[in-house]
Amino acid sequence: MPSRHRLQLGAETRTLVVDEQGERLLITVDEEEPVAVDATTSGVPGHLSLLIDGESHAAYVALEGEALHVTVGGRTFVIAPARAGRGRGPVASYEDVEGQLTAPLAGVVVDVRVAVGDAIEVGQAVCVVEAMKMQNEVHSPHDGTVTAVHCERGQRVERGELLVEYESAD
Amino acid sequence: MYFQRLLIANRGEIALRIQRSCRELGIETVAVYSDADRNALHVRNADRAVHLGPGPALESYLVIEKVIEAARSTGADAIHPGYGFLSENADFADACEAAGITFVGPPATAMRQLGGKVSARRLMEEASVPIVPGANDIDPDDLEHATAEAERVGFPLLVKASAGGGGRGIRQVDALEELAAAMELSASEARSSFGDATIFLERFVAKARHVEVQIMADAHGTVRAYGERECSVQRRHQKLVEEAPSPAVTPELRARLCAAAIAAAKSCGYRNAGTVEFLLDDATGEFFFLEVNARLQVEHPVTELVYGVDLVAQQLAVAAGEALPAADDDALPEPRGWAIECRINGEDPYQGFVPSLGLVQRVEAPLGPGVRFDSMLFDGLDVPVFYDSMLGKLIVWAEDRPQAIERMRRALDDLLVAGVQTNAPFHRALMQHPDFRAGAIHTKWLESSFEMPAMPEEDPRERVALIAAAIASELLAAQRAAGGPAGGGGPTASRWLRAARERASGLPVGAAARGWRRAGRGRPR
Repeated sequence: MPSRHRLQLGAETRTLVVDEQGERLLITVDEEEPVAVDATTSGVPGHLSLLIDGESHAAYVALEGEALHVTVGGRTFVIAPARAGRGRGPVASYEDVEGQLTAPLAGVVVDVRVAVGDAIEVGQAVCVVEAMKMQNEVHSPHDGTVTAVHCERGQRVERGELLVEYESAD
Repeated sequence: MYFQRLLIANRGEIALRIQRSCRELGIETVAVYSDADRNALHVRNADRAVHLGPGPALESYLVIEKVIEAARSTGADAIHPGYGFLSENADFADACEAAGITFVGPPATAMRQLGGKVSARRLMEEASVPIVPGANDIDPDDLEHATAEAERVGFPLLVKASAGGGGRGIRQVDALEELAAAMELSASEARSSFGDATIFLERFVAKARHVEVQIMADAHGTVRAYGERECSVQRRHQKLVEEAPSPAVTPELRARLCAAAIAAAKSCGYRNAGTVEFLLDDATGEFFFLEVNARLQVEHPVTELVYGVDLVAQQLAVAAGEALPAADDDALPEPRGWAIECRINGEDPYQGFVPSLGLVQRVEAPLGPGVRFDSMLFDGLDVPVFYDSMLGKLIVWAEDRPQAIERMRRALDDLLVAGVQTNAPFHRALMQHPDFRAGAIHTKWLESSFEMPAMPEEDPRERVALIAAAIASELLAAQRAAGGPAGGGGPTASRWLRAARERASGLPVGAAARGWRRAGRGRPR
C-alpha cells in the first residue's frame, strides 16, 4: 500500500508518496515521475544513505518535537508533518509578540536597564544577554511603558524566555 | 620525558590538542572541568580529571587557587595554560612557581611587560619597534581626560582592553559622542572576561593586514621565528580564517618581520612560545607592532604544518630547560607549502551569526590527505553557553595556496555537524570569493566587502531532504507501531523497514539523546 506524506517545508506543503515494491522503494515527490530509492540507516540512528536513481546521497535526520531536522550537504532543512497545524510552525521565524521582549538566545542576563513604569523608546536597549562571551543587547521594537520585568542580573535564560513586558504606545 | 604529569588548565579543542602531544611524549595528563564540561571530550580523553566549580569561567577556569590545588592534589609537575583563561595571567605564573610547579609559558616578568598591551607598547617604543599611535593612560571613569586624548589620537579610533584578546573588549569609536559608551562596554567586558578593566586608545588603521610572527625562545638565549601567519579575515575583531604564509609577505619582508619579532622577544627575556602581532600596510610594506600574545595561539596549527614542527612539544621541551635545536643563526627556516585554518564556530551565518547552541547529534570529521581537524565535537555534546562559540578548527595543508583553497572547500563539504548550526556555509562561500582567492584582503574586508550569499532558492539538496524526511516518517510510524524506538519488527513492518531495524535503526529523539549521568548536579538546562 503506498503511503502519502504531506510535509511542510518553509511556506510550502509538499506531498510525497512512498510505494514499497518488494526490496525497493518508489518515491514520488509532488507531481514528478516516481524515482527508485534504496535507503539504509546501517546501524547509526538517523544516518541515512540514499541511492536515488543510482545517485548517492547522505542525510542525517533527527526528530525535534514534531519536526524532522534533515541535514544534507551541510544544510539543515526543518520539515514537519503538514497536519501539525499552525501556531508553532516549525520554520516560523523567531519574532517577539508586541508587548513582550524575550531572550534572543540562551545565555546569562548581565544587565537589566529598565524597571516597571519606565518609559522606553524604539531601539532602546532594555537588557543585555551574554552568551559565548558576546554581549547581546535586547532592544525595544516600540515606544511604550514597562509593565513587568521577569529577569534579573545573573539569571540564566533560554532562547525565547520572557524578559520584559511593556505596553506599546504605538 | 620532560615532565611526568601535566595539568592542562583549559578546555575544548586546545586541551585535547595538548593531550595528544603529551601522549606521544609519554606525559600523563590532568584535565580540569566545570559543571558544564563534565561530559566534555577533554575530560573523557585525559588520564585524570579534577572538578573546578560552576560553569561560569570566573568560578572555575579562572580561579587560580582551584587550578593550583588541582595540580597539587594530582601530583602534576607542570601546568599548560592553553590560550585564553589564565594563559596570560602573570599572577597565575607566579602562583605556579610558588607551588613548585613549572608553568609552560613565559616568565611572569616578561608577561607583565608584554602581556599587558599598554606596557607592551611602552616596551616597544623603547626598543624602537614601530607602534600604532594611541593613548596609553586611560581611566574609564575619567571621561574628560579620555576625551582630550581621543581628540589627540583622532577618529575613528579603537578602545581596547589592555588585558584583551580574541577580539574581546574592543570597540570602534567613529565620533566623540560614542566614546563614553564604548569605554564602558569595553571595560565591563574586560572586567568580566579577564578580571582587569584597564583600557587604552589606539588609532584605527584602515586597510591594513593583520600579520603575526610565531616565536619560540629557550632558556639559553636562543629565539627562533617560524615565519608569519596572515589573519586578516576578521569579523568584529574576531579572527575567522588564518593562513601561513601570508600572500602579502615576500622573503625580504619576512626577514624584517622576523627580525623585529626576535628583537621584541629578546628585549624582555622572553621564553617559550609567543606571537608578535603586526599591522601591515602591504602597499608600502610598513608594519606596526600591535601586541605580543604571550601564549600558544588558536591558529598555531598553520605554522606547524608549513614548518613541520610540533609547537606544543617544543613548549614542553623549552619549559623543561632543553635547548632549541641548533640552527645556523642567519638562516631563517622557510615555509613549505601552504596551510589554511577555518574556525568552525557554533553560529548561524544565515541569521547574522547569532550563536547556535544545543545538542550536537552527529559529527563527521573530514579526512584525507592534508586535512587536520582539531575539535571538541562529538556525538552527544551539549554545547555549554558559558564559553566562546568555537567548536573546532579545520586546517588543511597543500603544496600551494590555490590547492589549499580547493582542499579546504572539499574538507568543508565533508564536514557534518547535525543539531547545532555552524558557520561552515560562511567558510564555503569565502573559499569561492574572488577577493579571498586573490589574497586581496585586509582586516576590514570581511565587514565592508563580503556579503553572506542567501540560501539558494533552487537547491538540489531540498529534494534529497524531502525524500529522507518521507523515509524517516515511515520509520517513525513503524517505530511507534512497534512501541518505541527500540521496538522490534512487528508483523506489519515491511521488509526493508525490518532490515533497517535489525541494524539498530530509528531516529535519535530530542531529550532522550541528552544522555544519562549518575550523581549529576543537574544539567544546566
